[in-house]
Amino acid sequence: MKTIIVISWRNVWRNKPRSLTILLAIAVGLWGGIFATSISAGMMKQRFTSSIETQVSHLQVHNPKFLKDDNIRYGILRADQIERVLAQDSSVKAFSSRTMVNGMIATATLTKGVRILGINPVQEAATTRLSTTVISGTYLTAGGRNPVLIGKKLADKLRLKPGSRIILTFTDVEGEIVSASFRVQGIIRTTHSMLDETQVYVRQRDLQTLTGDESIINEIAVLMHNIDQVNPAVEALRKQFPESEIRFWGQISPDLLYMNEMAGATMMVLLVIIMLALAFGLLNTMMMTVFERTRELGMLMDVGMNKVKVFSMILLETTFLTITGALAGGILSGITIYITSHTGIDFSGVGGNTLSDYGISAVVYPELFPGFAENIVLLVLLTSVLSALYPAMKALKLRPSEAIR
Amino acid sequence: MKVIRTHDLSKTYNHLVVPVKALVNVNLEISEGEFTAIVGPSGSGKTTLLNMLGGLDQPTSGKIFIDDTEITGMKESRLIDFRLRNIGFVFQSYNLIPVLTAIENVSFIMLLQNYPKDKMEKRARELLEQVGLADKADVRPQKLSGGQQQRVAVARALASNPRFVLADEPTANLDTQSAFNLLDIMLRLNREENITLLFSTHDQRVIDRARRVITLVDGSIVEDQHFEK
Ligand SMILES: Nc1ncnc2c1ncn2[C@@H]1O[C@H](COP(=O)(O)OP(=O)(O)O)[C@@H](O)[C@H]1O
Ligand SMILES: [Mg+2]
Repeated sequence: MKTIIVISWRNVWRNKPRSLTILLAIAVGLWGGIFATSISAGMMKQRFTSSIETQVSHLQVHNPKFLKDDNIRYGILRADQIERVLAQDSSVKAFSSRTMVNGMIATATLTKGVRILGINPVQEAATTRLSTTVISGTYLTAGGRNPVLIGKKLADKLRLKPGSRIILTFTDVEGEIVSASFRVQGIIRTTHSMLDETQVYVRQRDLQTLTGDESIINEIAVLMHNIDQVNPAVEALRKQFPESEIRFWGQISPDLLYMNEMAGATMMVLLVIIMLALAFGLLNTMMMTVFERTRELGMLMDVGMNKVKVFSMILLETTFLTITGALAGGILSGITIYITSHTGIDFSGVGGNTLSDYGISAVVYPELFPGFAENIVLLVLLTSVLSALYPAMKALKLRPSEAIR
Repeated sequence: MKVIRTHDLSKTYNHLVVPVKALVNVNLEISEGEFTAIVGPSGSGKTTLLNMLGGLDQPTSGKIFIDDTEITGMKESRLIDFRLRNIGFVFQSYNLIPVLTAIENVSFIMLLQNYPKDKMEKRARELLEQVGLADKADVRPQKLSGGQQQRVAVARALASNPRFVLADEPTANLDTQSAFNLLDIMLRLNREENITLLFSTHDQRVIDRARRVITLVDGSIVEDQHFEK
């Protein structure tokens, strides 16, 4: 067997230009595929983290009725107890309780529908990135009367600046219409431009006072230290507070879950297609090799090299060719990903706005999908075996006596 | 003792428009230690006969026995193994594996035979010495002359310790000096090691040295001469 390996390896280098061409094709193809998928993986990860840290959090607590009806009246039962449990749980990084109501925002000339979120500024800052998204003015503070944060898009539409006055109108817990004057304290811009147009943030205390229920809480968003702690936390809360709806991030945002599960598979499909194309190149190269060596292969079988060995030889040659190319592509990918995962790649030049519309920041840090490397190794081996089968079989079909002639 | 026996061996190539009778009822016996030349004009069936005797192709009818083992009708995979253990081959060209050195080419057959590894190298060197190429052991075929390549092929053919060696026009591509040189080596191996050699040729210089000359015309044996030398 060792000799077969030696012969195969040396055979690979008999026609250097040809071997190098296919080798290069494999290396570049694989590099392109891996790098492209890594960029995509980086984006996914970023979008995931961004979704978790800006909107979804790891888990959320609601009154089940609120999820159906979206009315401020449906507060979380025993919310104070839930808050106490969360505060004592060391796996909880932070949580934010919110009071939420749909209403209108009005200036002297324009009115628009908005969702009003009453937040505890300190809790919210620890749970989401809201406090870091302020682009002018300041984040909500304890002082001042009725401050409000509004998104950049909404501010532009309503021509608002920090300091501008607006009127918020909504129905309270009794169904009565309430209006109050608020002062724009800050303008924010998140990665989610749709929300920047439809959501405003006020202090929870102010909202609760206006709605007539000083303790009403509609949502508690929880951030764990680590994503593995999510499931146990959800289980425990469900047991303790069966009257509340406890949902983990995948239930809150099914597309996030779907994206997480599908992204890797989709990228694998891309790689399979690339490898399929390479397989044809490889097949072609090996067919040329076999036909060129018809006499030699015939001679080997004449003098007593059996079919298994001839077959193995062609298989090994293909595998060596593929693995060498794949190794080069792999190393190239490794280096590229290593460097760009530190420096990041700035895509703002090629449609940064589009990216941020989908909650993706314009600078992407490529990374490998988990479990991807193993799959690629398997894929490469499979490719080489598949493209070797036909040429190897062809080699066996050579009639010895014809080979001599 | 008869190493090779054939019984009414015929071969007709049917896949052409007109069937070609390449061999017609050939009955032939080769004894151990014989040095036999198959001669005849081009197209007389020499290669076809050697291919049949070497188990490289199946006859249309008739039988071939090697030491009482019938190889006609043997399954391809068994036949490959039979060739490996019983027959040494020297072809007109394309004898050697280009990516292996001379000594690796010789050892290759022994490797296929699972010859003990520790003795392999020594034997391969001895064989190269016998064909006068001890100093070319680590050279690859393309760096060797045609005559040298054929001598490596002879060493390779002997490496398997075969019952007999078949050589199809081994000197056809060689200059006179190299041809004589190769022939001398083959003759000496025959005389000193009692190697049974059967080769085809239409080269008169080679024919003159053979001890038995079988003449083929149109696929039939027309003459079978023994010479005492
Ligand atoms: N594979 C083949 N297909 C068809 N005809 C063949 C084949 N091999 C040999 N022949 C024919 O058989 C006859 C004998 O050929 P061959 O054995 O090669 O003769 P030699 O070796 O004496 O020159 C020739 O007429 C040749 O054309
Ligand atoms: Mg011939």
